[in-house]
Formats: sequence, structure tokens, C-alpha cells
Amino acid sequence: MLKLKNWAIENVIHGIDVDFDAGRTYVVMGANGVGKSTLLHSIMGKPGLEVSGSAEFLDVEISDMEVNERADMGMFIGFQAPTSIPGLSNFQFIKQVKELSVTDIKDNLTQFKDLSSKMKLPEDWDKRNLNTDASGGEKKKNELIQMLMMDTKLAMLDEPDSGLDVDGIKTLTEQLNNWRTKDNTLIVVTHYDKLIEGLNPDAIFVLKKDHIVGGDKSLADKIFAEGFDSV
Amino acid sequence: MSIDNLNNEKYEQGFNTDVEADSLPPGLDEDTIRQISAIKEEPQWLLDFRLKAYKKWLAMDEPDWSELDYTPIDYQALSYYSAPKTRTKDDIPPEILETFEKLGVPLHERDALLGIEKDPNVIPTVAVDVVFDSVSIATTFQTELKKHGIIFCSISEAVQHHPDLVKENLGKVIPYSDNYFATLNSAVFTDGTFCYIPKGVRCPMELNTYFRINARNTGQFERTLIIADEGSYVSYLEGCTAPAYDENTLHAACVELILHDDAEIKYSTVQNWYPGDENGVGGVYNFVTKRAKCEGKNSKVSWTQVETGSAVTWKYPSCILKGEGSVGEFFSVAVTKGKQQADTGTKMIHLGKNTKSTVISKGISFGDSTNTYRGAVKVNPGAHNARNYTKCDSLMLQDSRALTIPYVTSENNSAMIEHEASAGKISDEQLYYLQSRGMDEDDAMNLIVNGFCKDVFQKLPLEFAAEANKLLSVTLEGAVG
Repeated sequence: MLKLKNWAIENVIHGIDVDFDAGRTYVVMGANGVGKSTLLHSIMGKPGLEVSGSAEFLDVEISDMEVNERADMGMFIGFQAPTSIPGLSNFQFIKQVKELSVTDIKDNLTQFKDLSSKMKLPEDWDKRNLNTDASGGEKKKNELIQMLMMDTKLAMLDEPDSGLDVDGIKTLTEQLNNWRTKDNTLIVVTHYDKLIEGLNPDAIFVLKKDHIVGGDKSLADKIFAEGFDSV
Repeated sequence: MSIDNLNNEKYEQGFNTDVEADSLPPGLDEDTIRQISAIKEEPQWLLDFRLKAYKKWLAMDEPDWSELDYTPIDYQALSYYSAPKTRTKDDIPPEILETFEKLGVPLHERDALLGIEKDPNVIPTVAVDVVFDSVSIATTFQTELKKHGIIFCSISEAVQHHPDLVKENLGKVIPYSDNYFATLNSAVFTDGTFCYIPKGVRCPMELNTYFRINARNTGQFERTLIIADEGSYVSYLEGCTAPAYDENTLHAACVELILHDDAEIKYSTVQNWYPGDENGVGGVYNFVTKRAKCEGKNSKVSWTQVETGSAVTWKYPSCILKGEGSVGEFFSVAVTKGKQQADTGTKMIHLGKNTKSTVISKGISFGDSTNTYRGAVKVNPGAHNARNYTKCDSLMLQDSRALTIPYVTSENNSAMIEHEASAGKISDEQLYYLQSRGMDEDDAMNLIVNGFCKDVFQKLPLEFAAEANKLLSVTLEGAVG
């Protein structure tokens, strides 16, 4: 799915090699400030980051591609703090992004309302403005709705659990597990043991300045017990 | 004869129409005015009105209080009258029809212009008056409107057929001596739209005037007069475009609205005059005086404008709220880019008791442009319980400038006046967020700007909202990067 070779971000990460395979779920951990978010955004192609090395997504070199071109290929990033767009409603946004035809609107709205009610979002969530006057947790739920409604092949979620209440985390875990198939890939940055437990990831990656330490779930247990310096 | 595309990619309407025209030679003196009046076979009182204005104008100075910076206008270099040669209603030159087809004037209107018969059971939703340079070339659905007693025609026709109505109301809201450009207009106005909605009549369709400047070095001075009698309602739309010429074209219009008791006028404008090229060469100078007088009790006027065009815009659609309980509204979206300069806003003059006004202005500026909101709210001593709410938001990008200049005076202690203003930039974070969902930069920009303008776009008539949206997206194309 995604292959990083000697991938570096100036002043953040010095050359890492890592593969993320189809049908797998990865949890990325690392000390505060080590560059976990930046790593995800560099893969998405955020402007302003000086990157080098190679990134192949679905066997295509993407490092020179525009952000929207990567998105069109099926890459999705769930923001830690999604930005607000006043005057644009949540569903209007989905409509625009998916370029829905008149005939598709109804089904999509049904799906949207179904998801937002599952996530215990307000009744009129479709009409609320995108990430405007929403709580941190609500914004995260909205990111999840977007991810599920788009044709996502690689989902990179940056602390999707932060701001969520207990029920929210349960729904998040369920929805992500439902979404997983043998053809897609999930990368989750999190510090939260319950979410890691619920997702039962195929691998844990611990991000260090110039390399990645990989392992199975026991690696997370070790970190929770002994801290990041232990690995 | 053909329509030449002047190859201006960014301004789709920038072509000119090669049509034979009758024009007056450049220059302005008393004789010019007598000629205009003679061509139009005007009554003596109107010629007197013009000459009085001209004398006044000669003694006036061009205003320089705005934030605008432009090459001085040489009034003697302009032609004050230009009209296509064949111009009887049944004989509209095909080039002109082609022009309006190209400009996308809605189909049913084109059909009507072409005289195509429609199913008589289908009631049209829009009637249109088309003004090409100095003359109105066609007005559609006049018969249908006549059934309701509505008069919708060119002002020249109105002078001939309804002289009393015109004489009684012309210059009543904007006196001939009002300001430099209005006074010039009073002297040399050539055509425009006249509209009268009788007592208790709700106009069954949108009335639309489409203004097109075509001739080079010609000033367009149109005059619009709308009278809404007691308890009537009308929604009126105007659209404007011009070819992309290197020279600056002057447009100095006057629009007067008169509202009697319980009358309502919704006046919407999509202004897309040629803005000049990216170096600021050419473009329309748009110096317009628009004013509504809420003469009657509980009358209501709404000005809604979407302004994307002109090199220079100087325009303050105003409301004189005289009737008790009358309401004035101003909703505006003004977009400037390149070297464009807009100085626009409104004046809300509260004279009557319990009068209310609302102002929502959205300024969006790109490139090296300047976008100024200038708004006055004045509460006179007699305006007990007057209310005003003003909200001005600016969105800036690149090196552009946005200014908000409010003038607020209240001479009545019971008045409540609120003013909110905000200024912001489109953030890289917002663009990145939308792009990460698969939108290209232009679409992302468009969504952000549309969201920013939402509370104004919601006020536009449905048919116009789509047009405004499209216009905005064309304007924003390539604005970033």
C-alpha cells in the first residue's frame, strides 16, 4: 500500500524506511514532539514541509504529487485539530468532495445521518458548519464520518480518540474495525491503550528521530510499562 | 460582421460586437445634450431638467474623498450617445442576439427576444429589458405584465407613454444637483429601465435589466426609475458586462426607487463590468448613485449586490427611511483582484419612527487590489426607536488591502446601532484541509469564499444565486498561486 524509503523531513525526521501493507492496521507511537503528526502530513503532501526520499502509494511515486491528487488515489488523513470552514455545512462538504449527482444525494444523506446518529452527534449535524462551533470530540467524529463516506484506501488518523468520551471511543473502535478489509490500510497515531486494545493492530511502530522500532502489540505494553526510552 | 473574441481568458464577457452604430462625436457641451434630447424626441421639461443639471455640473468638482486612485477622466474625449443602427423592436440585429446568447441571458428570455411563441399556459418567471450602450433594445413580456397593470419598459418609452409618472418622480430621490456623477447623469442619461407596480399588485415575475457596454470610448449613463405603489411587491435584477478594451470606459448610472405604504422592492445586482487586465490597463469606471426612498409606512427595500467587476467602483446604494416602520437592507459581496479598486457600501438614513436597517457586507480581495467598505448610518431626531445592525467582514489574500470606514451619527437617544466588523485571511490550513479531501486549489478557494458569502447569497433570488455562484468561481479561478 505505502512504502517509505529513506523518507526524511527537514528538522524532524532523518531518513526512515517502512512499509505499510494492504489489509493491515498499524499503530504509530512516539514521544511528544518526535514528529508523528508531521510524518502523516508529509505523506499527505502538506505544503511547507521539506521532504526527501521516496514514497510509493499503490506502486506510484507520490512525493511530487499535489495533495488533492493523493486524496483522489484514496489517501485520507484524519486531522488532530480539524480547521474550521464557516458557511460550509458538513453534508454540503461531503456533497462537494464526492461531487455527488442529484440521484446520489439521498443515499449519501441517509448514510450520513445514520453515521452521525450512531456517533451521537446532534440531529441537525448535516446542516452544521464544518468544524465551526463544534467541540473537539465532535470534530473527531466528523473526521471519522468523512473517512467512512469517502473512497478511502489508506486512512491515517492522528489521535482520533482525543476529545472523545467513553462511548465515542467505543463507536470509533467499532467503526474502524468494521471498515477494515483485506484491501485497505489503517494507520493510527495514538497514546491510548484502550484504543490499541480494541483495534488489535498488526504492528506497532515507535517513531524515533532517525529510525522506526517495529514490533507486535507487546511493544505497546512495554512502552506503557516502561516509557519510550525502553524501546 | 461577427463577434470577435478579444482573447481575454479571464473575463469571458470581454468580446465586442461588430454592429453598425449611430454615435455622437466625442465631446460634451450644451449642444450635445440638446442632440440627445432631440434624438429621443423628448418633451421640453426633460430638456430643461438636463440643461439645469448640466449647468450645475459645470460648477462642480469631481469628488476626491474616496480611497480610489485613477487616471482623471477626460469628459470631452467620450461619446455621450451610441446606438445600434437598426433598432426597432422587430428588427434586432442578429449580432446583438448572438451577443446575448453568448452572455448566457437565460433561454426563455432569448426566445422572447427572438419572438418565439411559448405555450401561453406557461407563465414566465423573468421578464427582461436589454440595454445596449445608450439604448434599450428590447423588453420582454410587456403584454403579460400589462395584464397586471405593471409598466416595465425603457425610460425613453416611459417618457413618451407615461410622461406624468416620469415627470412626477424623476429626480425625486436623487435630485439633479445631488453629486458630481449623478448630476452628470441627469444631464446626459440616455436610457435605462422604468418600472411601475400599481397598488396591491405582486409582480408575478422577476424583472431583469441587462446592461451591456459595447461601443468604444462611450460613456454609459443609464437611469432607472422604479415606483412601487401601496402594498405592491417587485423583485428586480440587473446584470452588467462590457468588452475588454484597453481604454477605460465610464459608467455613471442613477437608480431611483420610490416606495409607498407597505410596498416592497428587492433590488439585486450582479455587476461584472470589465475589470481591466492584470496590469490595470483598461476596465470600466463605475460611478453609480443608487438610492431608495421609503416614502410610505412599513415599506421595505433590499439592495443585494454581487460585485466582481469594474476597474474602479464607487457605489453606495442607500435607503432613506422616511415612512414609519420602514425597513432598509443592504447585502453585499464585493470581490476585487489584480489592480481593481472598490469603494462601496451604503447609507441608511433614518427619518421615521421605528425604522430598521440591516447591513451585511462581505469584501474579498486578492492580488494588489483595494476593497473598501464605506457605510453611513444616520439617525435623525425624529427617528424614535430606530434600529441598525451592521456587519462587515473582509477576507484578504496576497498583498491586497481591505478597509472598513463606518460613519455613524445618531441624534435620537432611543436609537440602537450595532456595528460588527471582522477581517481575516484564507489560511493555508483551510486550503490544505480541503485539498486533503480531494479538491484542487481553485475549488477549495471557491468553497471557502462561498461559505464566507453565504449569508448574502441566501438573500439572492434563486435564479440569480446560481449566476452569482458561477460568476464568483470564474472570478476566483487562478486567483491563488
